[in-house]
Amino acid sequence: MTRSRKVALVAAAVLAIAGAIAIVVGRHDEPVAEPPRTAPPGPPFSAPATRSGTDVLTTGRLLPTSEPTRVRIPALHVDEAVIGLGQNPDGSMQVPTDAHTVGWYTKAPTPGSLGPAVLAGHVNYRGADGTFARLAMLRPGDRIMVARQDGVTATFAVNRLDRYPKDQFPADAVYGAIDHAGLRLITCGGDFDDRSGHYLDNIVAYASLVTADR
Amino acid sequence: MRIRRTLLAVPAAAALLLATPTAALADESVHVKLLELNNSGASGNATLTATSGGDLRISIRSTGLVPNSPHAQHLHGSTTGMDFHCPDMSADTNGNGYVSTEEGMPAYGDIFVSLTTKGDTSKASGLAVDRMPTADPEGNLRYDRTIAGADLPPGTIEHLKDLHIVEHGVDANDNDKYDLAGLGESTLAKSAGLSGIPEEATDPALCGMVSGAAAGSVPVGGVATGDGSTRDEATVWYGAGGLALLAALGIVVVTRRRSYVLNRVQR
Ligand SMILES: [Cu+2]
Repeated sequence: MTRSRKVALVAAAVLAIAGAIAIVVGRHDEPVAEPPRTAPPGPPFSAPATRSGTDVLTTGRLLPTSEPTRVRIPALHVDEAVIGLGQNPDGSMQVPTDAHTVGWYTKAPTPGSLGPAVLAGHVNYRGADGTFARLAMLRPGDRIMVARQDGVTATFAVNRLDRYPKDQFPADAVYGAIDHAGLRLITCGGDFDDRSGHYLDNIVAYASLVTADR
Repeated sequence: MRIRRTLLAVPAAAALLLATPTAALADESVHVKLLELNNSGASGNATLTATSGGDLRISIRSTGLVPNSPHAQHLHGSTTGMDFHCPDMSADTNGNGYVSTEEGMPAYGDIFVSLTTKGDTSKASGLAVDRMPTADPEGNLRYDRTIAGADLPPGTIEHLKDLHIVEHGVDANDNDKYDLAGLGESTLAKSAGLSGIPEEATDPALCGMVSGAAAGSVPVGGVATGDGSTRDEATVWYGAGGLALLAALGIVVVTRRRSYVLNRVQR
């Protein structure tokens, strides 16, 4: 075999390996399969119980109010700090200013206490995959651990995943009254609108409190 | 990708320090179901909303109350973590068939805030019927008021879910008004130095139990959690990978062809 031929074959091998790696990386970066768009939800929650006496009208365990500090989702290899998010001047929810940090919406209950706690994270942001890039891969029963300022970790189990067009975002289902300690994880999904620079849909994971540990 | 992530991490961390919003208190809206007491036949719903300014917005809608009559209403309970609840008829210790306000107190606690229509909201205004809401001729009552944080006892917002709304005023003798013929004179009013107030006016008709909670302020529309900046990455990688494989194949083909041609020439 001539020297030039050897060089050429080595180059070919290197290119082939590099190509194969690129395709593997590409497969890894393939968008996550998303749930189908969910039909607009029915009437909002109303408490079912009507009897008097000492019965409680809420269900499940409830924790006192305490702000979240960190969120861990083993199924997605997520373990990130949590910051507070308010509203933008136009009334929309603020979002984290980096791809990794997860935001807790401060104008809703704290995670583990009665009502819907809301966490938002990017699917991608400024060239990096976001913490919630694979949120759509969550399955019912997957655990979400939220560490709180009072030292208690609230563990939630995923109930379901929904996908909604942003212009038909179901405020009642996500932010409305519920009779238990709930959690909603929000990120983006669906088609991307190049003109607006935004995704058309939001993906929402609904979860409820199962345990609390100190 | 890794490198890009690391490079971005530094400015992102700096931005985070600047952008971290401060949350004084979680705005939230506590939903309360008003359940009948003393077989009043009344029912209702209420929401207690803690605003970001530390104020408390109260909204009550009840029906089936004594018509055209004022209904004293309060937040009962405390911030000491006592496990108060709504009483049932077993709280009627004097056995007159009605749980009086005093008989209910071991269950729902003392008056914590008086839900007056204007002015003072302390326990002292508990029987200020001239500043209490009045039911309409159909017995419907609407109440909306925001009480400033400064006027609330300390810990009210933090213990919102532990407090019980109680609306008073029953009609024992079914004549659509409060009168002494119903249940006699109010022992509660008497102990407060007011004589001649009917017991019907002070016995509780509704007691609120927390049924749920919601966001205190709902954001407009969806959430902008993505800028699409990595959505085409898979395509780019596939493209690069495909090109590299094609190039490798091309090199192999050309090399083999050249060696074949060379071999023939040499021969
Ligand atoms: Cu009262």
